[in-house]
Amino acid sequence: MLKFFNFRVILEYMPLYMKCLWATIWLSGLSILGALIVGTIACAMRLSRSRSFTGIAGCYIESIRSTPLLAQIYFLYFGLPSLGIRISEEITGVAALTLNSGAYMAEIIRAGVLSISQGQIEAGIATGLSYSMRMRYIVLPQAIGATIPPLLGQAIVLVKDSALLSLISIAELTRAGQVMTSERFMPAEAFLTTAVLYLLIYYVLKWLSEWWQKRLIFRETS
Amino acid sequence: MWGFYLKGLVASVPFFLKGLWMTVAVSGLSLVIGTIIGFIWGIIRVSRIRFLPTIIGAWVDVIRGTPFLVQIFIVFFIFPELGIHLEAFPAAVLALTNLAACFICEIVAGGILAVPRGQREAATASGLSDFHQMTHVILPQAMRIILPPLVGQYVLLIKDSSVVSAIGVTDVTRVGWLTVQRIPEGLMVFGLVGILYFVICYPLIRVSNTLEKRMTVAATRL
Amino acid sequence: MDVPVRSDGENRGMIKFAKVNKWFGDLHVLRDIDLHVCTGEVMVICGPSGSGKSTLIRCINRLEEIQQGELVVDNMKVHDRTVNMTELRAEIGFVFQQFNLYPHMTALENVTLAPIKVRKMPKAEAEKLGRQILERVGLGNKADAHPAQLSGGQQQRVAIARGLCMRPKIMLFDEPTSALDPEMIKEVLDVMRDLAREGMTMIVVTHEMGFAKEVCHRIVFMDEGQIVEVSSPNDFFAQPRTDRAKTFLSKVLVH
Repeated sequence: MLKFFNFRVILEYMPLYMKCLWATIWLSGLSILGALIVGTIACAMRLSRSRSFTGIAGCYIESIRSTPLLAQIYFLYFGLPSLGIRISEEITGVAALTLNSGAYMAEIIRAGVLSISQGQIEAGIATGLSYSMRMRYIVLPQAIGATIPPLLGQAIVLVKDSALLSLISIAELTRAGQVMTSERFMPAEAFLTTAVLYLLIYYVLKWLSEWWQKRLIFRETS
Repeated sequence: MWGFYLKGLVASVPFFLKGLWMTVAVSGLSLVIGTIIGFIWGIIRVSRIRFLPTIIGAWVDVIRGTPFLVQIFIVFFIFPELGIHLEAFPAAVLALTNLAACFICEIVAGGILAVPRGQREAATASGLSDFHQMTHVILPQAMRIILPPLVGQYVLLIKDSSVVSAIGVTDVTRVGWLTVQRIPEGLMVFGLVGILYFVICYPLIRVSNTLEKRMTVAATRL
Repeated sequence: MDVPVRSDGENRGMIKFAKVNKWFGDLHVLRDIDLHVCTGEVMVICGPSGSGKSTLIRCINRLEEIQQGELVVDNMKVHDRTVNMTELRAEIGFVFQQFNLYPHMTALENVTLAPIKVRKMPKAEAEKLGRQILERVGLGNKADAHPAQLSGGQQQRVAIARGLCMRPKIMLFDEPTSALDPEMIKEVLDVMRDLAREGMTMIVVTHEMGFAKEVCHRIVFMDEGQIVEVSSPNDFFAQPRTDRAKTFLSKVLVH
């Protein structure tokens, strides 16, 4: 089969693939940042004393986790226009990814914050530190350090999820494969190239996660 | 206007139920076969057999590093080039089964490795064969560790099944997509889609959480 | 206890280490070990932690492999990688410091698993034997209990019973009482004492010097992977020959 594998056509489409690879990267990147913000807010609401905040955040997180991302994407893509909101597909896509990953980020951040043992917080109280000081010097530094690996894991998931945006006509990596398939009838070359490029991003993110974890270990023993 | 759309939606309910049945069929089949294959792969992964663990490991990594949508496209579009003509439903089940097997493989391998080393040593010291060790000592204990993430993975796979709508399988998501062409009320249509998924997924998430709590309690009692 | 009369030419239960060396990576954990254990002998191995005593007995049933030298157990060449250990392991009972009982099985199931699967004993016969041996270690009424319902001392006695149910020629003990609360040490040592008096070939890695003095035929003192001294318990405690042994004893016997 490799004999019939047409590398020349792949080279021909490389500009398109590179453009779409870039699109995937910035769409995912934007969504990750958005998800971090949404996730932090949702987490803060979940951990707050107010019943209504906890309730709203809880509903949000459970709805996201119990429904598929594709249904959420279609919900926004078909639903927002009926409310009179007309936005581009890219923004719709980023919004859907942000809201989806935000829910998972909220849980990850919550786990990170709760992992700081009560004893340390009590030590902070005993030495007279205020709530914001305890947050700033004791809780957050440790929570962030511990949270980075699962966050990178969620980033990997988000990059893969971004493939679904091709189904609402956004020009990203998977769509490049679809375009090449429909124009040249070469699904093998098209989608295998797509797969290889996704794997590239995957291994880079994986390497980053491992590098960070090694840094963490060094920090703890010093 | 709303009343008209609502009536149209109510009339589509049978269509949605058929889609629900398709989702259950695709997911159910893939989960059952995927679990069996996943367990076999997982046991091989932690065994002392020579080449298989590495091969399986590499395959699992590739599957986990690429979007499921791309995998489905590869199965659906590339297999015909190899002479295997698959309809949408078998292609969907094949791709989802493979996805399930890969993720379950990692969960099973992790569970087996989590069984304390002393158990294996005690079994070896009594002269028990590898087979008897696995079936009577290791697996029974690994199951307690495997069950909660396994059920969690089932939820993820049911949600991933929504992606098969991209190759035309008439599951709940596709029914929603088709319906919204006639009834342009995205919020109502995909709200219904969301509710249907919620009804299947939320109970499973609760089961997974309960299992996880029970397992932690049992472990601390030991 | 008197040194058992060595049977002429009979090699059953005999363990022989000849110039055995073992490394964990770069760490030389066993250095030129030469040791000879006779049938019916009770041997205690003691020494500071890291001296290699656990590693030594774990080599006997090949839970650890040696890189150099010869190790012959019951006429089988354990050092030879091609030799299948299943048969030999059935003849050697091993008691771990951490008990390692199977938590999902009852005491009876724990002790009968190997006899049924390895010796292919019929279940009814194995259960009869199992109850007998559990009775012998004082736990006849706990046959249907799970390990989580037993105290540490009881668990360790079940572990000993598990080893005995295979009717082994040799029993190996790797610090059997080190993980027990002090009040439970006696019940386990009592079982081991009875075993010794019945003539079982035993090698025990332990810090329990009272037990050693009372029951064993020879004491082996190890330090930094080497066998430093081998003598009878009376000689060892009264007049240790080497300085290292003297230092060790002064630290151990004080409390």
